[in-house]
Amino acid sequence: MKNTLQNFLYSLLFVILFVSISGLSYATSVNISADVQGLCGNGNVDSGEQCDGSNLGGATCVSQGYTGGTLSCNSNCTFNTSACTSGGGGGGYIAPAVITQVIFTGRAYPLSKVVVLKDGQIAVSTIAGPDARFEVSLTELATGNYIFAVYGEDSQSRRSSLFTFPIYITSGATTKVSGIFIAPTIAVDKSEVKRGDNIAIFGQSVPNGEITVVISSEEEFFGKTAADPNGAYLYNFDTTPLDMGQHFTKSKAARDGAISSFSKAISFAVGTKNIAAELPKVVVKGDMNNDRRVNLVDFSIAAYWYKRPLSTAFKVIETERLNGDAKIDLIDFSIMAFYWTG
Amino acid sequence: MADKNSKRKKIILHFALSFCILIFAFCIKGVVYAAELNLTSQAQEINVDQQFQVDVILNTEGEQINAVEGKIVFPDIVELKEIRDGNSIVNFWIEKPQLTSLHEIVFSGITPGGYLGKKGLLFSAVFQAKKKGGGLIEIQNAKTLLNDGKGTEAKLEIFNFQFSIFKEAPAIQPSAPEIRDLELPEDFKPEIASDPNVFDGKYFLVFATQDKSSGISHYEIKESRQKFLKILKKWVIAESPYVLKDQRLKSYVYIKAVDKAGNERIAVVEPRYPMRWYENWWIWIIIILVIIFSFIAIKGNLWKKQ
Repeated sequence: MKNTLQNFLYSLLFVILFVSISGLSYATSVNISADVQGLCGNGNVDSGEQCDGSNLGGATCVSQGYTGGTLSCNSNCTFNTSACTSGGGGGGYIAPAVITQVIFTGRAYPLSKVVVLKDGQIAVSTIAGPDARFEVSLTELATGNYIFAVYGEDSQSRRSSLFTFPIYITSGATTKVSGIFIAPTIAVDKSEVKRGDNIAIFGQSVPNGEITVVISSEEEFFGKTAADPNGAYLYNFDTTPLDMGQHFTKSKAARDGAISSFSKAISFAVGTKNIAAELPKVVVKGDMNNDRRVNLVDFSIAAYWYKRPLSTAFKVIETERLNGDAKIDLIDFSIMAFYWTG
Repeated sequence: MADKNSKRKKIILHFALSFCILIFAFCIKGVVYAAELNLTSQAQEINVDQQFQVDVILNTEGEQINAVEGKIVFPDIVELKEIRDGNSIVNFWIEKPQLTSLHEIVFSGITPGGYLGKKGLLFSAVFQAKKKGGGLIEIQNAKTLLNDGKGTEAKLEIFNFQFSIFKEAPAIQPSAPEIRDLELPEDFKPEIASDPNVFDGKYFLVFATQDKSSGISHYEIKESRQKFLKILKKWVIAESPYVLKDQRLKSYVYIKAVDKAGNERIAVVEPRYPMRWYENWWIWIIIILVIIFSFIAIKGNLWKKQ
């Protein structure tokens, strides 16, 4: 009797354990943030904070570019310079030049165009070197929070996904953002592939980088290939194990211990015939005026139709370029924000 | 007796083991994280007539969020005095935070590329306490969407702001911080575009910028075909997108961004089809004047000779 009770109890526990494990939800995001946020209000100047309560981290009005006064701390752990003073009394004091800049360095693709967006608008662009490394700086910035985004454009005019990061810029300080590793570009040679045939997945990344290609189906398939000295990579995938229907593929690069985030995911279908993809892949989603850019103009066009019944002509565009639900709402703007180019 | 003790020990051991397995099972199942929208303020106990600031903060909890919308509802014992969106993580407002009815602030906007972080400031609202009592400032109908290209809605937790208004507050409470804004709005590049699906295909101007201190108050525009005559043209308050008056695109377009402290930044868009010399009336006036004066001079000389 006792043994039976024991066995029943353990069986029950193992069933609970099994159900719990099978109910685990896995994170789908591969974004890795190294930003360690402190607790504003704990009295310590933690990472991401300028100050905390009465703790100013040694800063004064003078260090913030003023000539005097009393520096304090706002409730959101940023400096309050309202009691700082500026300007002299005619004593001939010349304040030193205050240079505020942010420098971006990282890897894109060899000789590729690298674009930096500041708060969603193109701020500066540069060309990466033959080794895919780039460095670009922005000056004349005001103190405050900025959202910077970086993307690359490869030799076939394919654009990478946006690499976005929020930064607080302090007056007079140089902020260096290094280690940017732009995700590879990606394309496929067929929009539909006959099941059992190969599909070519290709794009550009860093020279001689190790490229991991992921094909999403009910289960995920992984493959590796090496980029050539020009950063170009090609992976042929045998579609035999894939079911009929829509699938997605994406890639990421690794080099010298650094790993990029995943590229945009692009789709292809497994069917009964081969249909070549249109090359080069043009930006379609979010591009409302077909100028191969997704920016404030497209935003304004969509905003015009926000909460308005769509015209027949615009419904066609909405179906092609947004989510095709015959209305403009927050979801459409979110899609646009994902494909943003500035 | 020894048998009883060993049996007791076995039972305790079995229960302890079972308990550990149960705890382990629940721990590895994991906690489901959700993004958070928080209403935070330094002020908790407020005096009548005192102003206090409430910040709307987004914590994405490890997700990348690129679109947000919602509504802030507040009771009638407080009055909205100001909305501050300088330093917002939202780059483009679909609906800029504003009072849409007596006690509601509606907002929606996007951050291209998405925002990932714990302290994303959307905007701040400054309230003034009108009468004694307790109240709740709350977020309603809020949505945050993932930066996944599909507009997937993220799980969202809301944290509202509970407060009490006293006739005389027990201690000195921080008021809404005053902002001393000496910075101009950020530099920006307006763009002229047209599309058959909007404004009947007319040319329109799009523009947007930020002010990292007090926030943008408004924009003003003027169009002038002559650069030197621009001072005679009046500024008109405008919003983006703005349908151009000069649809022939022969005008210089001046766009002024004004922040809440009155600082101004002006951007200029050159005419796409500049005026040809014979289209400028002042050139004809000069030519005519030259002819008239030449005629007078020649006539005068002839008269002298006579």
